[in-house]
Amino acid sequence: MKRIIYVILVLIVPQLIVYTLITRFDINLGSDESEEIELVNYTKKADKVIRKVVDHAKFEVLQQEFERPQDVTLACLSCHTERHHEIMANNHWTWDRSEKLANRDSVVVVGKKNIINNFCIGIGGSEKTCSRCHIGYGWEDKSFDFSKEENIDCLVCHDQSGTYVKAKGAAGYPAVGLDLNLISQSVGSPKRENCGVCHYWGGGGNNVKHGDLDDAMNSCSREVDVHMAIDGEDMSCVECHKTENHAIPGKVYALSSEDKNRVTCVQCHTEAPHTDKLLNDHFQRIACQTCHIPEYAKANATKMVWDWSTAGRLDEHGNTIHESDADGNHNYLSIKGTFVYDDHVVPEYYWFNGLADHLLITDSITETPVQMNTLEGSYNDKGANCSTGSCSKIWPVKVHRGKQPYDVVSKKIVQPKLWSPNKGDSAYWTDFDWDNSIEAGMKYVGLPYSGKYDFVETEMYWPLNHQVSPADKSLQCTSCHSSSPDSRLANLKDFYLPGRDRFKMIDYAGIFLVLFALLGVIIHGGIRIVLRKNCLHDNK
Amino acid sequence: MKVYIYKIFERFWHWTQVTLIVLLAVTGFEIHGYYELFGYREAVMFHDRTAWAFLVLIVFAIFWHFTTGEWKQYVPTMKLVKEQISYYITGIFTGAEHPTNKLVYNKFNPLQRIIYLGLKILVIPVMVISGFAYMYLNYPNVAVELSGLGLVAAIHTMGAFFLIVFIIAHVYLTTTGHKPLSSIKAMITGWEEMDEKEAREMVISEMEYSLKKTKEHFLSEKDSSAFLDKALEETEEKLGVKKVTKFRDVIANSGAGYFKIDSTGHYIEVNKAWVGLYKYGSIEEIIGKHYSLSRSGNALKQLDETFNKVLSGETVEHGLVIRKCKDGSVGYHTITMTPWIEDEKIKGVQGFILDVDSTNAAKMEWDNN
Ligand code: HEM
Repeated sequence: MKRIIYVILVLIVPQLIVYTLITRFDINLGSDESEEIELVNYTKKADKVIRKVVDHAKFEVLQQEFERPQDVTLACLSCHTERHHEIMANNHWTWDRSEKLANRDSVVVVGKKNIINNFCIGIGGSEKTCSRCHIGYGWEDKSFDFSKEENIDCLVCHDQSGTYVKAKGAAGYPAVGLDLNLISQSVGSPKRENCGVCHYWGGGGNNVKHGDLDDAMNSCSREVDVHMAIDGEDMSCVECHKTENHAIPGKVYALSSEDKNRVTCVQCHTEAPHTDKLLNDHFQRIACQTCHIPEYAKANATKMVWDWSTAGRLDEHGNTIHESDADGNHNYLSIKGTFVYDDHVVPEYYWFNGLADHLLITDSITETPVQMNTLEGSYNDKGANCSTGSCSKIWPVKVHRGKQPYDVVSKKIVQPKLWSPNKGDSAYWTDFDWDNSIEAGMKYVGLPYSGKYDFVETEMYWPLNHQVSPADKSLQCTSCHSSSPDSRLANLKDFYLPGRDRFKMIDYAGIFLVLFALLGVIIHGGIRIVLRKNCLHDNK
Repeated sequence: MKVYIYKIFERFWHWTQVTLIVLLAVTGFEIHGYYELFGYREAVMFHDRTAWAFLVLIVFAIFWHFTTGEWKQYVPTMKLVKEQISYYITGIFTGAEHPTNKLVYNKFNPLQRIIYLGLKILVIPVMVISGFAYMYLNYPNVAVELSGLGLVAAIHTMGAFFLIVFIIAHVYLTTTGHKPLSSIKAMITGWEEMDEKEAREMVISEMEYSLKKTKEHFLSEKDSSAFLDKALEETEEKLGVKKVTKFRDVIANSGAGYFKIDSTGHYIEVNKAWVGLYKYGSIEEIIGKHYSLSRSGNALKQLDETFNKVLSGETVEHGLVIRKCKDGSVGYHTITMTPWIEDEKIKGVQGFILDVDSTNAAKMEWDNN
């Protein structure tokens, strides 16, 4: 009896203790929802001190009768002197950036002004409608004077009355009949509606372009966006895109290829926001966004495919056609072609080190689908200085696939002229003639056109940043660490990922050896049992 | 007959190792993607924690092996390997005897030595090093970063498969002892069931081991009875024998011969075992006789030398010597001779002889190497 107790104490109890410590000890799991998230550089909504701000209604200069919107600008500048210098340096004004693109030796000028994409292709020749999203008045064509301060549109960003709108096809001028006194007296720090009017609607419709910037985010639930949720922190854009002196940080998209002036999660969340070290380590090679934006276009669908080649079909009366899919999203427009929209989209995943290249209109096509922009990076790209986080990380990306016109002879993407207020002006959206519109567009941007066009498939990469999901919706280990074809990283094959990858030969050889050993045991043991019986008899 | 062969630490170590390796294997192959048991995140967490526990255990075990000299058990030898293999291939089926015996300081047969050593090499360098490299060197925030996890994962996975194969073979081989479960019971209780012959050799080897160790104490201690007490204590401790019998009885029962010779070379005292080994009829027959009757030729010269050395205060231990028995036949034994001290003066010599039969003679040779 004593010996049994002894054996239990010495041999069994330690095993139980070891097992329990290993499997039941729960400090690390940290999935406790009630846990406060640790933040830096951020004051929670509940702790914010609301200050009374200047009441612009009391300023006489804003009570004058404004004849032109420019007069409002001049009124603003009469107190806020010199601020126009800040604005005029801002690319919301210039629509150009000098960027050092990956894989190019010299700095190139790229910006909304001259970039091409696989949505509306480019603004060349259609400025008058595109500049509805320019923070200025009167950009109709190349003659626009970027140095004239009265052309700055202060209101589109600062209006707080909610009544300010820019007119369609009006070179950035506001709609007629607005109460400019009411609007100018309402001004304040930009709310998300101010930013959203352009950034939600890029590409010609709500959430079309980014997929993670949606009108619905003006008032959304935590499911859609934890940061902007009205029942949560209710954050505005500028709480992350912290702006001083009109310099607005934050750029990681197709126009912003150089790794600088970015807005990051780390600003507030630090580089080690998890209680679990293993998760914090993942930060070294995985962008926060990868796990925390498990899907995008959560409130409204986003455009995934845009095929220009089918555009131009008219009904029997010669009128344009609008067709919608079951969810009410356009899937055919005569002026633009065929679309595929999707919502709750699972991102694609790519290595990205912060540097990107961009296809310029002067670049020849070397591959199809044509890569409109390329995210640089690979597993092996560990950066010059990894500890600062500049090595490649896995990013969630919206890939927008298109089919758009190119010059068959010069093998370059072309810029058609799309918009004109009048028929017969070579604009595709009024005349539906590709040849004419390409010729007019290329002539406008000063480039040759052979006269022969066709359509080519293109792809464009949009790293995701917004619509962060609540923690309990973020990806789980096996979302990636799984050999199933559904693994989110099933296509990112340039490295060994535990749980996803196996060496087939080792597995086969290993399993074979194990079975061989078992078989050996069975045979050897079997013979022993059979023969032992006989031997025992012999011995007796 | 049962003999105590696994010390408490050894058993604790063994079973804890079993728990940890099973946990590592189960969680490891879950991470590998073969099944879902704990859940991936938990599996990784448990694997990592278990790995740490395993490392701690390994450190303790290494410490223990070196402080107790048990590491010698793993020194590989090629002697008798062939016999051992052929035993497993054929002998075991026909009920042949084990070609090697379990001894306390030689617990493992030569095949086991090689396999366990291999295992230690597999587990420690291969699994622990590849495992910790896997765990800690995969991100660029460490000084030495692996260029990718492929290689360590491959090594680690291969090691894991080998380990599984080993465990299968190992568990099976434990059933080849005296009775199918006697080895497993021994690892639980410490006491292994053996047949008479095996047990006897085990006890002899244990005593020899104890005596050798005690001799070292004896050199520094003047009191010879303290020497005996020590030897007794240690032997008892090792064998798990209750302190009911006198040390000499234990020796007598185990077959070790005891002798005491005065400074003139005449026997003052011998025990029954001694008399038996030399094939005399009774103790009385030998008391008062000169030791020269126990050797012939060169062996006698050697004994004279030894006797004189011991008289001058040295302790001498001989490997194998050849004795001359009463009927003229010869036998083999090992001998340990130490000065017999009374009132701080060397009055003569005393010592033990341990019989070695001719098959064991060969083994003793390599054990002593
Ligand atoms: C101290 C020893 C060990 C250490 C430090 C260690 C560490 C690791 C680590 C870090 C991983 C990668 C997954 C993770 O992050 O947890 C892993 C995977 C694995 N371990 Fe271990 N391990 C050890 C011992 C063992 C043992 C004894 C076995 C099996 C008998 C084993 C089997 C496996 C297997 C099968 C995998 C999956 C490999 C793959 O699919 O890439 N490990 N181990």
